[in-house]
Amino acid sequence: MDSAEKSANPASSDVQRRVDGLQLQYIHSIDDGPLDHWPGFFTDQCLYTIIARDNVERGQDLGVMRFESAAMLRDRATATQHAAVFAPRTIRHILSTSLLDRVDANGIHARTNVAIYQTSPDGDTNLLVTAQYRDWIVDTGGELKFREKRVVYDTFRLPDSVVYPL
Amino acid sequence: MGSSQSNDSETVARDSDVFAGIPSTRIPLKIYQEPDVYAAELQRIFYGPTWNYVGLEAEVPNEGDFRRTFIGEREVLMVRKAGGSVSVIENRCAHRGSQICQAQFGNTGSSLTCPYHQWTYDFDGKLLGMPYRRGIKGKGGMPADFDMAAHSLTSLRTTLLNGVIFASFHPDPPSFADYLGDKMMHYFTRVFDGRPLRLVGYQRQVIDCNWKLQMENLKDPYHAGILHLFLVSFGYFRLDQKSACYVDDSKGHSVLMTERGSEEGNEDTGGVNIADPDFTLSDQTLVQPRKEFPDDVTLAIQTLFPTLIIQAQTNTLATRYVIPKGPRSHELVWTFFGYEDDDEGMTTARLRQANLMGAAGYVTLDDAEALEFSQQGLEGAAEDATAVLEIGGKGAESNDHLVTESLIRGFYIRYRDIMGFERVT
Ligand SMILES: [Fe+2]
Repeated sequence: MDSAEKSANPASSDVQRRVDGLQLQYIHSIDDGPLDHWPGFFTDQCLYTIIARDNVERGQDLGVMRFESAAMLRDRATATQHAAVFAPRTIRHILSTSLLDRVDANGIHARTNVAIYQTSPDGDTNLLVTAQYRDWIVDTGGELKFREKRVVYDTFRLPDSVVYPL
Repeated sequence: MGSSQSNDSETVARDSDVFAGIPSTRIPLKIYQEPDVYAAELQRIFYGPTWNYVGLEAEVPNEGDFRRTFIGEREVLMVRKAGGSVSVIENRCAHRGSQICQAQFGNTGSSLTCPYHQWTYDFDGKLLGMPYRRGIKGKGGMPADFDMAAHSLTSLRTTLLNGVIFASFHPDPPSFADYLGDKMMHYFTRVFDGRPLRLVGYQRQVIDCNWKLQMENLKDPYHAGILHLFLVSFGYFRLDQKSACYVDDSKGHSVLMTERGSEEGNEDTGGVNIADPDFTLSDQTLVQPRKEFPDDVTLAIQTLFPTLIIQAQTNTLATRYVIPKGPRSHELVWTFFGYEDDDEGMTTARLRQANLMGAAGYVTLDDAEALEFSQQGLEGAAEDATAVLEIGGKGAESNDHLVTESLIRGFYIRYRDIMGFERVT
């Protein structure tokens, strides 16, 4: 799609606004919690993966997380809150607006840059990863949800554990 | 030095011997912090008569393919040569010490060229030539008596066994078979049985603790039914499952293993606090294993001295390689793999079950965190402070249970021996 044409189209600027709004809701939900809300951003059948860009480029699907249903995401949220041992921390997402690569009857394909910082129990804030969301977003009864969310991270030597979803 | 794998050079002077008078059940906390101990470890262990993991043959399938990695703090390249064999050479130009390859992976054609002054080497490290060797119109250039043959890249002794490459900086390491011993070879070839391997993907993570704490973690089955609330809460691991742990004759290598579904049924959790015994996963596919080995073992973790971990947890197969980064940090490189003949279902199972492992893993996240708690806790401890290792007694023998720290005691028998510290009596 020609980008000048797209921005002049009121329908596509509405899509842009809705996608940006979804991404903002998503990151604030993760950063501020509770984690129980996180699975609600996804369709029941979905793909959520956090994966190194290097693996993607080599055609390898191995991720740091890889979940294929909202039920698996709920399990992750439960386990993180009740069945995991880690030092307390906060994370903070800094987001770009989304680049809409394709909008059609099957949904919206978008890329969004993200930097995620983490603050330790001692109060030090460090960059955890820079990444790109590669998303497939669908409209489910007027509500946008992620059918697929690939968090493709550049920082392949991770400086710390990945406790929370990104 | 003889060909024996024990270090027969002079032992460390008693006043600098942090293990002087220390029994098998104590570890001086200084060894996780002292720069002098770390520097000695690099020389005596990583560049000494040990076999260090380099990678999998499947990572460099074609002639000229390379992968860059580390042994200790020295960078090495694993390169596929013409004719199919693999060499391991140090990634440091013989001219001025420059790093030759920067990429993690690549293909370097039929020779290696340093980008700085284009000195060129073959894949065994032999210096082939350099620009302006004869100067320009007879001016400049290398002296006529410059000995090309004396300026090769450091080429390491290598072993390729069933798709796995090991190397040694030492000129005269023991044979790989002697280094492993029969028992360890049995478990090594359980996973690396000669079938061609297929790479599933990588994870890399920096963990801020001494490299030895990472190795201890995989020799410490005692923690597994305690720390890992995911396994305990959801009922996937119990210390009363049928299990065993093995130590080799050198005491430096080990295997621990369990058989799932073999617990006694008496709910003996040994006083472990469980968050919620009623937890169940709403999507069970994550933990549905497919049988793939002839035995009933569902978890087998092998450690090979000094820094390789071979993990076969249900269908997640991976090497975890520990790269020391100073006394207080290390990098953990996970190479997940399967077999070339895996069907789609097996590949899916490996990808799914990998959620238990790695930087966000349901299981190993706890480990990385606990290891950093350990380093944080021991920093600045009193001069004579020690860790206590008395679970399961004082020896370093194999056991038919997992409530023991005998594998860690074994590691330090091997460690004290190769480091020239006072031996355990
Ligand atoms: Fe563990």
